Amino acid sequence: MNNIYAALELGTTRTVLAIGEAETGGRLKVTCHAETPSAGVRKSQILNIQDATQSIRSVLREIERKQEASGAKITIGNAFLVVSGQHVRADPFSAPVQVEGARVTAEDMEAAIRAAHSMPTSRDRELLDIVEQDYVLDSMGGIPSPKGMAGRLLRLNTLHVHGDRNRIQDARTAADAAHLEIRDPLFATTCAAEAVLEDHERKNGVLLIDLGGGSTGYAVYSDGYLAAMEVIGVGGDHVTNDIAHAFQTTNTQAEGLKIREASATVGGDDGASARVRVDPGENTLLDNRTISRRALNVVVNARLLELFTVIRERLEELDLVHRLHAGVVLVGGGARMRNIDALAEQAFGASVRPGRPIHVDGLDEEPFAPSYAAIAGALLYAHRNYEEKSILDGLLGRFFSR
Amino acid sequence: MKSDSPMLLIGIGTAGCAMARGVGRAFGEDIRCVLVDTDATSGEAGGDFVLIGGDRLSGRGAGGNIVAGRLAAEVSIRMIDDRLEDVRLAVIVTALGGGTGGGATLEAAKHLAAHGIPSVVFATTPFVFEGDDRQRNSRGVMTMIEDAANATFFLPLDKLIGDTDNMADALRRAVDTVASGVTLFWRLVEKPGYIRLDTERLRHLLAGAGRGRFAAVTVQGPGRAAEAVDRLMRSEMLAASSGPVKSALCGILAGDDLLLSEVGTVADGVRNAFGGLSFDLATVNDEATFSGRLSVVVMLFEAGTRAEGETASGSVMGSRRRRTGKGVLGVGPSGRGRFKNAEPTVWRDEDLDIPTFIRKNLSLDF
Repeated sequence: MNNIYAALELGTTRTVLAIGEAETGGRLKVTCHAETPSAGVRKSQILNIQDATQSIRSVLREIERKQEASGAKITIGNAFLVVSGQHVRADPFSAPVQVEGARVTAEDMEAAIRAAHSMPTSRDRELLDIVEQDYVLDSMGGIPSPKGMAGRLLRLNTLHVHGDRNRIQDARTAADAAHLEIRDPLFATTCAAEAVLEDHERKNGVLLIDLGGGSTGYAVYSDGYLAAMEVIGVGGDHVTNDIAHAFQTTNTQAEGLKIREASATVGGDDGASARVRVDPGENTLLDNRTISRRALNVVVNARLLELFTVIRERLEELDLVHRLHAGVVLVGGGARMRNIDALAEQAFGASVRPGRPIHVDGLDEEPFAPSYAAIAGALLYAHRNYEEKSILDGLLGRFFSR
Repeated sequence: MKSDSPMLLIGIGTAGCAMARGVGRAFGEDIRCVLVDTDATSGEAGGDFVLIGGDRLSGRGAGGNIVAGRLAAEVSIRMIDDRLEDVRLAVIVTALGGGTGGGATLEAAKHLAAHGIPSVVFATTPFVFEGDDRQRNSRGVMTMIEDAANATFFLPLDKLIGDTDNMADALRRAVDTVASGVTLFWRLVEKPGYIRLDTERLRHLLAGAGRGRFAAVTVQGPGRAAEAVDRLMRSEMLAASSGPVKSALCGILAGDDLLLSEVGTVADGVRNAFGGLSFDLATVNDEATFSGRLSVVVMLFEAGTRAEGETASGSVMGSRRRRTGKGVLGVGPSGRGRFKNAEPTVWRDEDLDIPTFIRKNLSLDF
């Protein structure tokens, strides 16, 4: 049997579970994935463990159903956890090492890597990833590989990505209660980048934006490595909340308006009716109620433009905004929003494309693959970086093979 | 402004401010009252006036936009806080259909609940001829106000109009009707007669009342008690609208010539006519105002609008009642809505959990 991995994404609006299997040639294929609505999660953080556990149980049942339908026999006992939320941060770190001889050797580079990985993580944080950037030899930076170069002090720049230990533990607790062991937490945005970005984009400068339900992560790659990342605690849930507030609707009605009718840009609604009907749902008082399409789009546009403006201003502070020569890539559920690409073009002054998981197979039939970029990337990341461990191993294991 | 009363009258919106002034005139004495509007011209007629939504609306009113009225109150309703000291019961008078009346009343009721002050809302609803938009505005907010306030009285202006009324007569009648209901509370507390109803009993009674309907009649001469009951029974204002009566409050206002037999006639007549699980009776003894006359005000509260012991949100009396399983999102005074319990996201001193269109003062073209 080839290596098989599972990944769990416990999001604000949906819970996703996916199984990936290594293919010959080193690629990875998503063989099965399931998605169910989330409960007990707000702004990418668990507020109710019982509800979150129920969400995980539901998605386990759903993937079980899909597996049975396809005749597969796989037990999921453990999974990687895809983590997002504004508690995730990245800190730069590097530590100089003395170059032993006249020129940098492989051993010197290994010593620099060990030194860069030596930063302790505080007790309230959990390390998600150490992203290696460029080498610095004496005062010269931006070196991808210093082997053979002359110098005295060598260091490797790194970004230490970490999250709130308690928030991650809450997800573990919820998964444990659903009899699913969490192997390691992986950061959603860098996972998504793993799945959707081309090497030439990383070299030329690209901004990846992961528009989640409860938060939005972004990552900037320049000169081939991760230059900056951050998570902002604003996501599609905020768009829904704004609509509900503006038009006095229920959350369900607002979500429907967002998905079916709203546009990220205002104007240019060719042929669209000027007014939009609000699904009355259970509220018969609102039967046949309509709202202005333009007003709806003003509300949505204001929120999303503000989100992009926050990101742009952060990139300006880091002097990265003019290095996005390969443009902007949008992933996550929010990337489905109508005209979101046009708004991003306007905000960043760069070309924009949806981020399909091009380095992972098996999602070709998926109607909107960019919303699975993070979980597909997590499987790919696990495939590339973790030693084989059967997903049958687990606390109790969920047995549904016949 | 009279400040030692345990009750506060709040007029909201241009029509609400006018009605509040009418209540003051009807009561005949200084009344503890604050007037709230988005339109600065409302303050020109005097009184303790608070302009809300100043930065957003520049004192020009909400323009019929209920959201604008609500947002104006959301950011500025705390300007009335210094008037809330020692207030045990707040009575709001307003007119629905416009922007400020509907929008700001909802926020004011929520704000009062957050301060533990029960609120009673008297609101007129638009004439049919005022058009669909104002009717829709009114209908859309009634349920929410009902949810936020402890007791509500919605008075359809169409029911107040007489066959020969012109517009001015109709509006005057509306003001008089509201005033008769509102002043009852002040009279019951401040001019008690043979049968008393103190503030705390009134507060307790109204805290769990829910939607109500009321009518007032004034008669004089022989047989005035029986005639009052007869006219009340025929009042369109008390006609059943959505359910049987859960409780009733009856106030008899008269001078020193009030007979106990007349009290009995009114009490029995009202109780027999409208039923109800509980019945509270109080009399007012005000020679200066009612000499020779007998006024009876009846308030009926419908069963099913609020369960026993349940109150409006944030009330000192209990927890919030959920009207529907998936209620309209409550944003509350902070504006953070469903994110109120989540870690805030702050960017350049702005709380990003608050809807962007509010923070950016965007006008929504409804």
